[in-house]
Amino acid sequence: MPLTPETLTRHELNGLHVEVVDAANPDLVGIAGRTVVETMHTLMVDDGSRVRQVPKRGATFEFEIPRTDEAAGAAKASGTASKLRSDTTGGFDASQSDRLADSSSAASRSGNCEGVAYVTVDGAQLLSRPALRTETTGDSKWR
Amino acid sequence: MNIAEERIDRLHALAREAASDRDHERAREYVRLARRVAERNRCGLPKAFRRFTCDDCDAYLLPGVNARVRTRAGGHVVVRCDCGATKRYPY
Ligand SMILES: [Zn+2]
Repeated sequence: MPLTPETLTRHELNGLHVEVVDAANPDLVGIAGRTVVETMHTLMVDDGSRVRQVPKRGATFEFEIPRTDEAAGAAKASGTASKLRSDTTGGFDASQSDRLADSSSAASRSGNCEGVAYVTVDGAQLLSRPALRTETTGDSKWR
Repeated sequence: MNIAEERIDRLHALAREAASDRDHERAREYVRLARRVAERNRCGLPKAFRRFTCDDCDAYLLPGVNARVRTRAGGHVVVRCDCGATKRYPY
């Protein structure tokens, strides 16, 4: 399943280019660069001169994901697939899949220009231990 | 290929990139995160990842930089991390 706007909140953030478009602390707005370390509550962004640590809570991030034509086609397919899956698993843990549905609707507000897609994500959706973000919808065998 | 496996692939590439920039501590972070993702999703790790990471100190191994590789007559290869841990692989 490729990296798409729908799967971004469950996918790897390290290595992606990110910009902080809104934050509770005004000093953090405008930080842009490569995500190098993710912790449960923060992202560390290497802006070229130094590594800045940005709290996820209260911030809005704009991730830049590379996009080719075939990836765009796959993005649509997997986007619908992930929506279907979150609908079918809805009864089991309603709160979590609701949260995912919110995140995918928020994440689908993405612009598309010159081979890169910009995905805007509310930092509150990323509040999780980095390794556990992947498993909130039921790809896991343990259900 | 599900998200977990693809995340591991990305983390593998990030770890190798960090190690080739001689940023071994950051490479360790990526290796540990990839291991944790594999463990949580029960999907195992690719063979290249297992062979080029140190089980003892989680370093991403680049032969000649932070790892020494020697072939042995018994049909195996010895990979020694700079932390002192060795590992033998048949060929
Ligand atoms: Zn070692």
